[in-house]
Amino acid sequence: MAARILPVVKLATKVTIAGGALYVAYDSGLLGSSEQGSEALEKAKAAIPPAIEEWMKYFGVETQLPTIPKIEFSPVAAWNSGVQWTISSLSEAPTKAAEHTNNGLQYLKDLTK
Amino acid sequence: MSEKELGKKWDRCLADGAIKLGTGLSLGIVFSVLFFKRRTWPISFGSGTGLGMAYANCQNELRSHYVLHRSEKEQ
Repeated sequence: MAARILPVVKLATKVTIAGGALYVAYDSGLLGSSEQGSEALEKAKAAIPPAIEEWMKYFGVETQLPTIPKIEFSPVAAWNSGVQWTISSLSEAPTKAAEHTNNGLQYLKDLTK
Repeated sequence: MSEKELGKKWDRCLADGAIKLGTGLSLGIVFSVLFFKRRTWPISFGSGTGLGMAYANCQNELRSHYVLHRSEKEQ
């Protein structure tokens, strides 16, 4: 009798696990609007240090964790400055190229003197 | 839309995209391992769905500035 129920039990377990995963994803706002997503991200970031501390205590290692350096990197500002740098170097490129060619020719002339 | 606001919207869009991609990937892995005998297509389907949801969210958010909302229409 157990052999007949086993496939059903397996299927039920799998469905429970998959349904649970879906429910957790839905409930924590991972599948909603972008505000909900950033809220969930903030919660996760805030929950990491206490969790790490707990784990360290569990393993009996009472070291002082190095504080994660605050990254003051804004992709938008970096993108803007990147675009400006690219365009300015593109506009200066012909002049610079001519200068380098002249210098190179001058150097070769000096060699052959 | 001021440039700061636009920048914040883009930041939210990118973060949201990463989150949804990760979620879709993990759900795809879960389903692939549990139901589909470890084949690859549920994983790609999940990540694609996640990216698609992020794209739709982003689109709505960036357009919301120009769309007339219900609360203004009823005046």
